Amino acid sequence: MSIVTIRAHGIARRFGDEQAVAGVDLEVRAGEIVALVGLNGAGKSTLMRLLLGMLRPDSGTAEVLGRRVVDADRAVWSRVGHLIETPPRYGELTVAESVYSAARLQGWDRRSARVATAAISTDLELDHWLHRATRTLSLGNRQRLGLAMALVHRPDVLVLDEPTNSLDPLGVVRVRELLRIRTGDDGVSVLVSSQHLDEVARMADRILLLHHGRIIGGLDPHGVDVEHQFFQRVLEADRAEPRRR
Amino acid sequence: MNAALEFELLKARRAGVFRWGAIVVAVGVPALSIAFFELVRLGGDSPSAAKAATMITDLTLAGLLGTAGQVLSVAILMTVGIAASWSFGREFVDDALPALFAIATPRWSVAAAKFVVLAGWALLTVISMVILTVIGGLLLGLNLDTAAVHTASRIAVAGLLGAALAAPMALVSSWRRGYLPGIVTLLAVVVVTQLLTAVGAGAWFPYAAAALWLGMGGAAAANQVSVIQLLLPLPVAALAVIATLSWWRRAEAR
Repeated sequence: MSIVTIRAHGIARRFGDEQAVAGVDLEVRAGEIVALVGLNGAGKSTLMRLLLGMLRPDSGTAEVLGRRVVDADRAVWSRVGHLIETPPRYGELTVAESVYSAARLQGWDRRSARVATAAISTDLELDHWLHRATRTLSLGNRQRLGLAMALVHRPDVLVLDEPTNSLDPLGVVRVRELLRIRTGDDGVSVLVSSQHLDEVARMADRILLLHHGRIIGGLDPHGVDVEHQFFQRVLEADRAEPRRR
Repeated sequence: MNAALEFELLKARRAGVFRWGAIVVAVGVPALSIAFFELVRLGGDSPSAAKAATMITDLTLAGLLGTAGQVLSVAILMTVGIAASWSFGREFVDDALPALFAIATPRWSVAAAKFVVLAGWALLTVISMVILTVIGGLLLGLNLDTAAVHTASRIAVAGLLGAALAAPMALVSSWRRGYLPGIVTLLAVVVVTQLLTAVGAGAWFPYAAAALWLGMGGAAAANQVSVIQLLLPLPVAALAVIATLSWWRRAEAR
């Protein structure tokens, strides 16, 4: 069985009165795509931020590539790529400069960073906009740029928060194919969140349903009606335990 | 070159705040000083000439440089303070902070690179300003004597001390997550400096000492500024840099 690359154990975080994540256990293995789905405010982005060390948990632990996130160093993070909520916005930089800088900040030398920038830009069909200032990009192309910056250094672990937001249908297919290739050929692990159930059903090996900061079960991505499964689970969870604050 | 430094240099090269700031200090300060100086030297009887005459009593290159130094003492703090506020605060305003987490380059080194870029830019700007003022004076037919060289070194030192005092704006912009808090703090500091100077307590206030040393409060006040008072900006800047790097090391991306 392939190794666990992302692990959360009883991880929790509260913002004031709001329990954003309430004791989540989670594992993602090498070569698999795990999707997190949930209603707005379910805690998907907060959980991802906890896994990436952007937030400190109130309790519980998170591990990436076998290291506790709080102790993770350059060697660990150089193997991780992520896009959380909005793509970075350095409007004055061009697309090529933004992607190149992302590769450099991940420890790549200049020459390799330039080669990798060209490769990922072709993969995500950004070639035409390479020398445009990012402030002039459409929302969809800005999303492609964010993905290029997350993928340019060929990470072993990817954490992507709603990566297909604002993408046109062709862009959605392109991202899905790219993730499938990276997981299949390179053994990359992907934790992805999305609001689009049909999309994650096509992409993910496993779907986890997050509701009120807890994982309340999984959905079968190959099932007949994923949307029906989703609402049934949410309704059952709400009946069993009305929202606690 | 270090990746963080290369990244920050790239952003600074494209940023209007750095470009316009350099022009204001390196070109604007000499131009304004030369204009005031000529008003006095040509001996007109306009109200502006009369006002300028109270500032400029020495019609030599040292006098011109002294005038430029007084303008510089405020201009450099405002310019570097705004640039520092923008450089740190924009990471929050532009939603760029999350991308600086979980990468091979530590966040504190990105913050350190920002300070290095700001310091290098301030150094180049102050030196350019001094050189352009000297060139302007020579073009007016003034002599580059020992007194002028002494004053030129004095305003270069005071300019760099003034630039160092912008470091706390980086801390405020990081802590309050935006560039406006840094700029508001900068304005507040300028107002407080004026008040403290007016009541005669300026020399012990780091933001006023260098300006007083340059003659902003007159020759008598300039002579009373001690070396310790003059160098107070250095511990202020060092503490602000350490606190900012520590903040960047520990902060969350909420």
